[in-house]
Amino acid sequence: MSTTFPIRQSSLPSHPPPRPQSLPPQSSHYNRPAPAGTSTAMSSTPSSGPGLRYPSNKKTIYDRNLNRSKNAELSRAAFAYLFIEMIAYAQRGARDVGDLEQRLNNQGYPIGVRLLDLLLSRSSNPLASIRPTRILPLLQFIAQTLYRHLFGRPADALERSGTDSAQYMLFDNEPMVNTYISLPREMSSLNCAAFVAGIIEGVCDGAGFPTEGVSAHSVGEQEEGKDGKGAPLWPGKTVFLIKFKKEVLEREEILARGGG
Amino acid sequence: MVVFALFIISKAGGLIYNREFHTGMNKLSSNDLLMLAGSFHGMHAITKQLCPAPPTPTNPASTAAALAPSPFSNRPSGLEVLESSHFRMQCFQTLTGTKFLLFTEPQQPNIDSMMRKIYELYSDFVMKNPFYTVEMPIRCEKFDRGLDGFVKVRG
Amino acid sequence: MVLYSFYIFDRHTECIYSRRWTPRPVSSSSKTARPQSGSSITSNGDATTVARKRTDDEKLIFGLVFSLRNMIQKLGGEDDTFLSYRTGEYKLHYYETPTRMKFVMLTDTKQNNLRPYLHQIWANLYVEFVVKNPLAPVEHPGGIGVANEMFERGLDAFITAVLPA
Repeated sequence: MSTTFPIRQSSLPSHPPPRPQSLPPQSSHYNRPAPAGTSTAMSSTPSSGPGLRYPSNKKTIYDRNLNRSKNAELSRAAFAYLFIEMIAYAQRGARDVGDLEQRLNNQGYPIGVRLLDLLLSRSSNPLASIRPTRILPLLQFIAQTLYRHLFGRPADALERSGTDSAQYMLFDNEPMVNTYISLPREMSSLNCAAFVAGIIEGVCDGAGFPTEGVSAHSVGEQEEGKDGKGAPLWPGKTVFLIKFKKEVLEREEILARGGG
Repeated sequence: MVVFALFIISKAGGLIYNREFHTGMNKLSSNDLLMLAGSFHGMHAITKQLCPAPPTPTNPASTAAALAPSPFSNRPSGLEVLESSHFRMQCFQTLTGTKFLLFTEPQQPNIDSMMRKIYELYSDFVMKNPFYTVEMPIRCEKFDRGLDGFVKVRG
Repeated sequence: MVLYSFYIFDRHTECIYSRRWTPRPVSSSSKTARPQSGSSITSNGDATTVARKRTDDEKLIFGLVFSLRNMIQKLGGEDDTFLSYRTGEYKLHYYETPTRMKFVMLTDTKQNNLRPYLHQIWANLYVEFVVKNPLAPVEHPGGIGVANEMFERGLDAFITAVLPA
């Protein structure tokens, strides 16, 4: 370990220079005894030991929120332009609308897996930072914590399918990702919220709830009849269908029996 | 308060959007409209060329400013408002060369703010739409809807 | 208020009268648009280029008002008339007589519509001093007979009276 360390140092000339003044007590904590030949290198870089750097208040960079201020916002336009490129990338070589949605879903999936970790580790309540083990807490986590983190508001509704007990429905009246998107006529069945569906799938999978797939469907037009009037109230209303695998439901049953 | 129509002309002179909000202007075939947009594009360029020399400045400070070579601020703007006895046409050219033509009643107030709002709708729902190709005809449902809501609220 | 120029076109699309108040002629390219120290024309070469540019401008303006008038009639109907247009730098006023003569005036942008004044120039000056002038021909190819002394003086007086600087 100690022999590989100087090599890593030399291979990373652009490593940020350490600030020995700011962290003098820490350096002694984790400074491994270095071989004699590398002592000069070490003395010049005292705070760059292997592993995590722990600042004096015991808070690593991972504990800090990426957005420093509470109301920190990202540029919606920046996201919109990035999303344009993501869709253009997914469209390249996509066979049909289903394939395109699958590609968007795949782009979202790793984000979901990572976000699960990030959001759990960041939660202020230590009891809440346990991975959800039942379906309902998991869905609540998605509808509340995940949604607040991504879009600044909770999801609009959560329902269990009446026909299929393995299927849950998460409603979003106005998906943020679709704000600026008008679909061309030949792709009217596409819903670009498939990207968000991918994130949800990633969270479910990461939490140990494998799914048959999460898909996004537009339901804005179907609401028309209920409203009575011509224009639907939420033309962009989207439902995320979450269909868990059989084993998840079996486990859920066992847990319910054990708990009850 | 009546807004008759909105045309958008691409920087190459092609008509990429036309929308009638209120009847009152002649109905034209799409072919005629395309020709009209093209010829307006040319006329707009001529109005730029016709710019008369700036009047002799009265104070020496502005003379110095006029002498300073500045290719951007000195560029003539081209046609901005066209008035006829039936309507008034406001032409707004973006920095990228796209032209917005808004046809209103002759006495319509606040056209500048309307134009700004339309430009905003355009940059949101057209330019941020992943399925829009620049310089191509605009077919964006949300842009249409935004314009509808805006013009209806106004009118 | 600033008056840049004034043109009369006859029904044969010819410019029969033009008048400029700006010290320098309108330039059609941006390279020469920069003001130069001397506004007076000194050499012969300059004079010819200026003359060429003048006729060019006349043709451009005629073509422009003609196309704009057609466009407006297409859009607004046969009874619609072209009144004026404004750019960031100047405003062009237009008046067409029943005999298809076109009066065009270029002013600064703050000017209200000058159509009534153009009408007065036609009715009170052109008709009085050109049409009723027994020495002037019926048609004015090359502007013959339009720029007579009475008309010029009347125009000057009219402009100083109704359009004070």
